[in-house]
Amino acid sequence: MEKRVTSLQGACEGYEEDLVLYYYAETGASERAAIEQHLAQCLRCRKFIDDLGRVLPQMAPKPELPQAFWDNYFRETVAKLDEQAARQNWWRRWFTPMNDWLVPAFGTIAIAVFAIALMLEKGDFKSTAETAPVNIPAEVLVDSNQLEFFKSMDILESLSTLEEQDGAKPARKTSHIENGHSGQSVA
Amino acid sequence: MESSQDLGDEELVALCQQGQGHYFEILVRRYMEKAFHIAYDFTRNTETAKDLSQDAFLRAYANITRFDGRSSFYTWFYRIVVNLCLDHARRRGRVLWESLDKTAEEPGRQRQLVDSQHQPDQEAIAGEASRRANATLESMPNKQRTAFLLRNQEGLPIADIAKVMKTTEGTVRVYLHRAVAALRQSLVEFV
Repeated sequence: MEKRVTSLQGACEGYEEDLVLYYYAETGASERAAIEQHLAQCLRCRKFIDDLGRVLPQMAPKPELPQAFWDNYFRETVAKLDEQAARQNWWRRWFTPMNDWLVPAFGTIAIAVFAIALMLEKGDFKSTAETAPVNIPAEVLVDSNQLEFFKSMDILESLSTLEEQDGAKPARKTSHIENGHSGQSVA
Repeated sequence: MESSQDLGDEELVALCQQGQGHYFEILVRRYMEKAFHIAYDFTRNTETAKDLSQDAFLRAYANITRFDGRSSFYTWFYRIVVNLCLDHARRRGRVLWESLDKTAEEPGRQRQLVDSQHQPDQEAIAGEASRRANATLESMPNKQRTAFLLRNQEGLPIADIAKVMKTTEGTVRVYLHRAVAALRQSLVEFV
């Protein structure tokens, strides 16, 4: 089978886009004049334009439909528009009289839901904190032990202060801790 | 209502916006063929094109109050049609392109081709060229195909295509040239 019916060759370099626009009459007057001047002396570009004119109008031809199709199309579209309008009117009928109190009511409900959600979230947080699995790394545990130690130190310091205020001497046990870990307290 | 047929698009839209929805019917009659043909260019199926273009009218009517007149009604409306077609293509994965030389495959048509002396080869080649061109059109990026179809099939000026596609005229020129270049490339072996 010989394939020699449709040909569409390239144009001169730099002219192709201009020629496509020229074909679609989308060039300005000066561009058009320049292209026509080029076409007058360039067989290749003239062939390119001819090929566009032969091939492009045949691309995806439109179906030929009878008038009955369009009459039916119009009737169907209008019926669908009426149906859509009726649906919109149904909503309007229901909601328009309620407009006076609908917005405040929905606002109040939204605030209430938000407040309840906040409260629930707080509760969840607490329970999560309480029931969270103990998975603490060793380094952190050491640090937390130190924290416990310093907490007890604070208590002992407070006791010493109280004893000093009462004029009593600090207990031996207390001073042992102080000597071992806190010079400031000994002084 | 006869004189209302002469009203411009923007006047009709304004009347619809004022609650006189029946004026929209004039816009339907005015644009139904264009809308259908755009949808047909994208889908190559009469029923789908009808459904999509009718949906476009429904959507346009539902949003008529949002039309602000910054663009012409038809560029606003064509944009709705094109977007529906592209959405439909996305949902389906690919656009279904029926063979353009479908008639050549019909039995009666085949007989006619066999009976004639020189026609069969030429018809077959033209059919093959059409198939190739349409396969190329189908595989094009959506923007290139949209620009090409709106210019080549619907004859919209590049300035209007730019408004429909919400892009610049320069970009549309590039899309158009690339589409034509791709089509040329697909047909180059038929030289």
